[in-house]
Amino acid sequence: MTLETHGGQAAAINLRLPPKVLDTDTLPEDASAELARLVAGAVPEPAAERPDRARDAMSYTITVEDGGRSTVLTQSDTTMSPAFASLLSWLENHFAQQ
Amino acid sequence: MTRTCRPNCIVPPLLLEKLLRSDKTEVHQAALDTLLTTAGLRGERAVRASFAGTATPGNGRRTVFDCQNGRSLPVSALARSEDGPASTDDSVNRAFDGLGTTHDFYHEVFNRNSIDDRGMRLDGYVHFSAKYNNAFWDGQQMVFGDGDGEVFTDFTGSLDVIAHELTHGVTENTAGLAYHDQSGALNESISDVFGSLVKQWFRKESADTADWLIGPEVFTPGIDADALRSMKAPGQAYDNALFGKDPQPDHMSRFVHLPDTERGDNGGVHINSGIPNKAFYLTATGIGGFAWEAAGLIWYEALKASTAETQFQDFADTTYQKAEALYGAGSAEQLAVLAAWQEVGIQITGVPAGVARTRSRAGNRNGSTGRQDGLTALAKQIGILTTQVTSLAKDVAALKGKK
Repeated sequence: MTLETHGGQAAAINLRLPPKVLDTDTLPEDASAELARLVAGAVPEPAAERPDRARDAMSYTITVEDGGRSTVLTQSDTTMSPAFASLLSWLENHFAQQ
Repeated sequence: MTRTCRPNCIVPPLLLEKLLRSDKTEVHQAALDTLLTTAGLRGERAVRASFAGTATPGNGRRTVFDCQNGRSLPVSALARSEDGPASTDDSVNRAFDGLGTTHDFYHEVFNRNSIDDRGMRLDGYVHFSAKYNNAFWDGQQMVFGDGDGEVFTDFTGSLDVIAHELTHGVTENTAGLAYHDQSGALNESISDVFGSLVKQWFRKESADTADWLIGPEVFTPGIDADALRSMKAPGQAYDNALFGKDPQPDHMSRFVHLPDTERGDNGGVHINSGIPNKAFYLTATGIGGFAWEAAGLIWYEALKASTAETQFQDFADTTYQKAEALYGAGSAEQLAVLAAWQEVGIQITGVPAGVARTRSRAGNRNGSTGRQDGLTALAKQIGILTTQVTSLAKDVAALKGKK
């Protein structure tokens, strides 16, 4: 899985930063199961429309690579679904602990 | 008729009644015009009042909410209101003060009544999400993150960032610059310009003493970066191993072409804003004094005259026209605008490059001695040219004499 962050006040800096990468095979079983549940919850959510009036809001692209199949989820601060927010929060917590 | 004239009429109703009965045609007509104008204004106020629900009234009253590290604004807790006491939370108080300073700047400098010029209330949300490295304008209100504590710190700590975000609201209510490519970069630049001006105004700094930095406070002390952006030196705000060199260009020849996608920063709106940012810095320092006075007014009037799809060239032309309208053709202010855009690679439409160079050199000479009357500068130029022509005429006469 990868997490990319776009836009925001620090957009010029975010452009330069590489995506954060998580190899789910390295996760403990319970963490892996929780992440799978969060991904399953976020995937059916409709793709968020680009915010019209928001300025400097950030958007996030989460890519799941699984057995040659790729699923890309992109949502922004102002149009984010609760399921996507939960998944993003889990990933951010995980990367913060690395 | 006069019974309905409210106390805010400048001429008292009884006096107007007397003037209406005057035998003199001019006096009668003037009184009649005044009453018609007053009635018109009354009508306008009545119409505005009928839209009270959508006009976001509130005299710019401030309210700050605490997101308590959540992402949902509707469930945030009230932290401070206009009439309430100060909070024990510094982030709340900084946001509250920043909203107030920005409101006061627009009111006192441009006589603008809050973001929408109709008294829009100002709502701010602090502690958004967890370790959130950003502040943004969601179309109606401001949202601040705490920063991750490693690279970024609390975004309420930067007055120019607060003013930057609120200025997005001003732009939305004036030109409505579309948020992609050149119009988007202009949108970002306008927020940087007025964000910096709010800070300069608050500190009473002149153009030559201001730092012209956006967000110098948002980085933690261990990060080798001056700020998010530098208007004085786009491309030089930071250069470190963690996130590389500031990619902002300071000239059209270095314009950065990026895709119009979220991943491409909507065509580099935070990147190419460096070009108009530099043009404003050069204009302000070329004119001298307080940047919010002449340069700020020219930019503000140009913003109000712009539209959603205004490009760099259009905006440059508009600032040149506004400088002429405000300060006169050939004024030091207009020459400073001309020279500034020329230095970032944009020629004002209708001003040939050769003429622009000559005029801007005159402008630069004026700039070195501070703000001068444009007519005086032109008179000096004419005087120099007259001397040269006279000298040439003498030389020609002398040559003829030799023949």
